[in-house]
Amino acid sequence: MECTTRLENGFTVIALCGEVDLHFSPKAREIILKHLQDKNHVLVDLSDVTYIDSSGVASLVEGFQHARTHDLKFALLGVSKAAMQILQLSRLDKVFPIITHAAEADQL
Amino acid sequence: MSHAAQNPGLHPALRFVEDIGRKTVAAIEELGYVASMLAESCYWLIFGHRQQQPVRLRNIIAETMRIGVHAIPIISIICLAIGVMMAIQGIQTLKTFGAESKVIVGIAISITREFAPLIVSIMVAGRSGSAITARIGTMLESQEIDALRVIGINPARYITAPLLLAMMISIPALTVLGDFMGLLGGGLYCIIELKITLAIYFERCAAALSWTDISQGLIKSLAFAAIIALVSVSNGFQVRGGAEGVGRATTRSVVMSLTFIVIVDMIFTYFLNFA
Amino acid sequence: MPAAENSEYAIEVQHLDAHYGERQILHDVSLNVHHGEIMVIMGGSGSGKSTLLRHLLGLNIPTRGSITLLGQDLARNSEAEMFELRRKMGVAFQGGALFGSMTVEENVVLPLCEHTELDEKTMRIMGRMKLEVVNLAEFGDLMPSELSGGMIKRAALARAIVMDPRLLFFDEPSAGLDPVAAVELDELILRLRQAMNITIVVVTHELESAFKIADRITVLDQGAILMTDSVEAVRNSDNPRIQSLLNRLPRDDAIDADEYLERLTGI
Ligand SMILES: Nc1ncnc2c1ncn2[C@@H]1O[C@H](COP(=O)(O)OP(=O)(O)O)[C@@H](O)[C@H]1O
Ligand SMILES: [Mg+2]
Repeated sequence: MECTTRLENGFTVIALCGEVDLHFSPKAREIILKHLQDKNHVLVDLSDVTYIDSSGVASLVEGFQHARTHDLKFALLGVSKAAMQILQLSRLDKVFPIITHAAEADQL
Repeated sequence: MSHAAQNPGLHPALRFVEDIGRKTVAAIEELGYVASMLAESCYWLIFGHRQQQPVRLRNIIAETMRIGVHAIPIISIICLAIGVMMAIQGIQTLKTFGAESKVIVGIAISITREFAPLIVSIMVAGRSGSAITARIGTMLESQEIDALRVIGINPARYITAPLLLAMMISIPALTVLGDFMGLLGGGLYCIIELKITLAIYFERCAAALSWTDISQGLIKSLAFAAIIALVSVSNGFQVRGGAEGVGRATTRSVVMSLTFIVIVDMIFTYFLNFA
Repeated sequence: MPAAENSEYAIEVQHLDAHYGERQILHDVSLNVHHGEIMVIMGGSGSGKSTLLRHLLGLNIPTRGSITLLGQDLARNSEAEMFELRRKMGVAFQGGALFGSMTVEENVVLPLCEHTELDEKTMRIMGRMKLEVVNLAEFGDLMPSELSGGMIKRAALARAIVMDPRLLFFDEPSAGLDPVAAVELDELILRLRQAMNITIVVVTHELESAFKIADRITVLDQGAILMTDSVEAVRNSDNPRIQSLLNRLPRDDAIDADEYLERLTGI
């Protein structure tokens, strides 16, 4: 369950993978917030995430909120169908900017 | 179902004996229940952290506020009044011997050894003991206790242990307050009647008192605290039968607490003075 | 999806007998629930539904038989194993059983506080997300006593799902609700299963609700299982007791005159 980060298109792409659950989400949260505190625009890549629970989603929410208050860009990338359903349950799919390719990040 | 109905053919005298036997068994059962509750609370207080299920400081503080801090005004007033009454009665009685100046010794010793812990405990039993029983009984009836258990929160850890600890903190602390307010009350009357200053009054109190007087009171107050906590919690957990059951348990809880407090007080007083 | 459970069924109940004191309430109840299934336990009032549920939750100990949740036998589980298992199950009680001394939001967050080491902010967001799911977002700061019946049930549901459980138990979701609120709650249950793939056990005496949400229905009558089958099969069953339940007819057993007289006169 290692996160990899890469720079792309002026964004820091944080690729989460495996199960983002109660054990892993504190770490994911820390990484996301750290990059935002360094004033980076952030894309969170969920393509390799097999399962995300609400603690994972809560970490994304916190990141997004932080980005908005600090005028940074934040979006989700590669949201799987299962993850999308979790987001839809609390209508967060209408809140997060969600893109399918890193290239689309320009339009954010 | 009444017990008598189970054995309709029994001779009344035998039925009476049977009834006593049944009640004795019930009492021993209840004692066992209380003992296991005490053991379980102590277990969680000591080992809870290691199990990752600590007794929450927040709960302890909340209970201490309710039991102790909120009782400060009423305890102060009552103990002050008791002090005044003791001074009045003492001076009246001792006047006949021309020994009214000795009243201070009497006040100082009886307040610290007896009245402060007793009055404080009686007040807390009436004020908080009943509330605790009612609260737990209501939680039981509304399935809140079940909800705790299915969440994985042990009620002994979450409810009993904080209450026990809060009680053991609050009652001795209130007793110290009661000591002071009682002495003050006595003093207020003495400065008028005996024409002495409050400073001299407290000086004489200090001379009359030894640490054992105060510690006797505090030891008792600890015992009373345990009685109130265990009696009120165990009665709460035994509530059956809706709102009416809660009412019955509340009454039983207060009566039981007071009875045990007075009996234990008598036993303690005997042993602390003669043994 | 979290690691697949190694057992075939999410819930297995075998030959369960239960008593309150001397009185036997459940008679040889056996029941299996698949992973991700919505099982509705249906039966008249007093048929033992809540009692069965209490046993499934490990609140009561059966006199005979075994209960296995997510592959773990409740009777053989240690305290610590039980504690772990409880993280994976959520329960919404009939009356809500919200803690009266806490706000709605504190109620919802409580399981997280007790089971996780998450940051407080994360917990709060999770709690609010669940309140959002059950449409109570604006009511987090209210006390339970300030909520209506339907809101209490939804708040209880939010608390039950805050840990993203694998098993969800729901006692009488629609009892005491107006029809609109009841339908909303049914839809919510269906949405939850779809999004989170939870195994859900619902206890109810409401036929419409049962038919709407169930994958399978178990019909309980006087403490025994009459049948466990699909909605269609239950609807079309020719068992007279089930038919009378479906048609809301009162009980119509044959009466043994001797026994009946004995009950009345006590002789
Ligand atoms: N705590 C209890 N003590 C004794 N009997 C009970 C208790 N709870 C329920 N019962 C009895 O068990 C039977 C089944 O009750 P219950 O499981 O609540 O039925 P349901 O939920 O289907 O209405 C009823 O006859 C009821 O009187
Ligand atoms: Mg019921």
